[in-house]
Amino acid sequence: MKLKAIVDDQEHELNVKIEGDRVNAEIDGRVYELELREPEPGSYLFLRDAAVHECRVSKAHESFDVNLHRRNYAVTIVDPKRLRSGQGAHGHHHGLAEITAPMPGKVVRVLIETGDKVEKGAGLVVVEAMKMQNEMKSPRVGVVVSINVKPGDTVNAGDVLAVVE
Amino acid sequence: MFRKVLIANRGEIAVRIIRGCRELGIKSVAIYSEADAESVHVRAADEAVCVGPASSSQSYLNIEAIIAAATSVNAEAIHPGYGFLAENADFARAVTAAGLTFIGPSADAMDLMGSKTSARRVAVEAGVPIVPGTVEEITSFEEARKTAEKFGYPVMLKAAAGGGGKGMRLVTSSDELNSSFTAAQAEAAAAFGEAAVYLEKAVERPRHIEIQIFADTHGNVVHLGERECSIQRRHQKVIEECPSPIDDPDLRQRMGDAAVKIGQTVNYTGAGTIEFLLSDTTREFYFLEMNTRLQVEHPVTELVTGFDLVREQFRVAAGEPLSFTQDDVRWVGHAIECRIYAEDPANNFFPSPGTITYLREPSGPGVRVDSGVANLSEVSIHYDPMIAKLAVWGRTRDEAIERLRRALDEYQVAGITTTLPFFREVARDEEFVAGKLDTGFIARFNERRVEVEPPPEQNDLAMIAAALHYSRYEQPVFVQGGAQVSDGRWKMAGRTAGLRRWRKS
Repeated sequence: MKLKAIVDDQEHELNVKIEGDRVNAEIDGRVYELELREPEPGSYLFLRDAAVHECRVSKAHESFDVNLHRRNYAVTIVDPKRLRSGQGAHGHHHGLAEITAPMPGKVVRVLIETGDKVEKGAGLVVVEAMKMQNEMKSPRVGVVVSINVKPGDTVNAGDVLAVVE
Repeated sequence: MFRKVLIANRGEIAVRIIRGCRELGIKSVAIYSEADAESVHVRAADEAVCVGPASSSQSYLNIEAIIAAATSVNAEAIHPGYGFLAENADFARAVTAAGLTFIGPSADAMDLMGSKTSARRVAVEAGVPIVPGTVEEITSFEEARKTAEKFGYPVMLKAAAGGGGKGMRLVTSSDELNSSFTAAQAEAAAAFGEAAVYLEKAVERPRHIEIQIFADTHGNVVHLGERECSIQRRHQKVIEECPSPIDDPDLRQRMGDAAVKIGQTVNYTGAGTIEFLLSDTTREFYFLEMNTRLQVEHPVTELVTGFDLVREQFRVAAGEPLSFTQDDVRWVGHAIECRIYAEDPANNFFPSPGTITYLREPSGPGVRVDSGVANLSEVSIHYDPMIAKLAVWGRTRDEAIERLRRALDEYQVAGITTTLPFFREVARDEEFVAGKLDTGFIARFNERRVEVEPPPEQNDLAMIAAALHYSRYEQPVFVQGGAQVSDGRWKMAGRTAGLRRWRKS
């Protein structure tokens, strides 16, 4: 299967073949031959030259959270074959990034206007929840195409606050 | 001893107290809010009573409902845990008025030590030094300005009814005083319903060291040594140790004596903690406040002294003498605790509620986990985001740190962001390993920390694992007629396999 994987805003070309308990993978030209075991759902145990690498994978919002050797990796998989309607597909296909509220709260400030150019990590909207103020940041460089909230608005977890293209 | 005890709390501390009940053959009664019906503390208890909706003001803080619950199941005593109603003297009085035993100090002792200004008066009476400051509340800005100039900057503004860092402001110069004074008053009023603030001189590079005391109704007051709690964020502790890396028996003796003196002055009973600020340079200590309850970090004292503090609480409340004397207290080895919070350390420790989709807790030599969650637990926005405490013990501090690193590496939590990655870095930090701790530790740590890049092959393996997971559970399959089926072909197989697994066990 041919896929694209995005980690830390970097796109990688992936070609993964599974044959029984063998995995042959190629990533940007790097070749991996791995022995694969799946001791429980979401656990991928790779053996490579006798070295053990246990990956715990769970779905986290629009990406996969992979825990490997006590580190966490946020991996977004883009499947070129996939229809557009599927979840997880829209963001990277269209170059849109939705900034969502992580939990219920109240909008305190809106730091940007529609049409503003923003850098990755720029503060967009400040949401107060659990007596703390949290600045929601832009996940990428781009232009603010919509702002869906104003100061004083109450938001629920998952509500789209703004969209950056 | 009691036959049946109601635990007026939730999460890991409720589980901890239920464990104590089981060991002593006491029937345990959990209370829960509507949001907590499936939670771990309910599952651990013998009996459980719902006391109200999710909001804690209507459930875990609802004195009437809690006492009605205790009466309805014929409980004889109520253990308040920490937080919620643990330091509420009105609750203690209501429990007693209902003919039940409150497992904690007398309501009068709670009143006396609950207000920071009256607690400071007690300390002065007991001959224990306090940080230069006002014993009475400050009512006007003019008074604040004059007092601050008398002590010299930096000064601390604190809420008289305070705790947990709320209503607390560090003021470094006279320019900041006006706005900080107003803000501290507003914050104090919002958090405690009382705007009273007072002012103290700020101790520079202070260590936060507390002494565990225990007193029974037979006149015995003992101390169990210190806990170092200097590593704090938002004035709340995140890592605690016993003993302090200073490990100075003479200092321990002096601080212990001072703490016992305070306990005697207020006729204290049960478990209590006297908090001190210790100047790292002068080794002088100042009374800060007293917590009239079991502390979150009590496991480190238990690991090093071998005593079970919850068990002693039950004994004392039942009118029995303490099971040990001061001479029996020995400190063996070193213990460190990390509070595992559902918070994002990369984003200013912002709470990160959600569902725990995977949980693997550490175990093995010298490891203790006090957990309030299980697989598929919901970490709710309604309550404190601490999900568990990891405590380790070693013969020396170095051995404890090695165990801590190993245990933190074993610990896996998916579905929510936790403070685990932060602790993994701190456990390898040079200043931490050297024991150079003070309350400014996290701020300095954040300045100097450098992110260590993982080997590139690990990045690749993580992507391969994500791709495999995608193919197993999410890849659409095309069936006849070209219709797209949203469930991956492996998803159904995975579910069936999961079911089979459950049937087997």
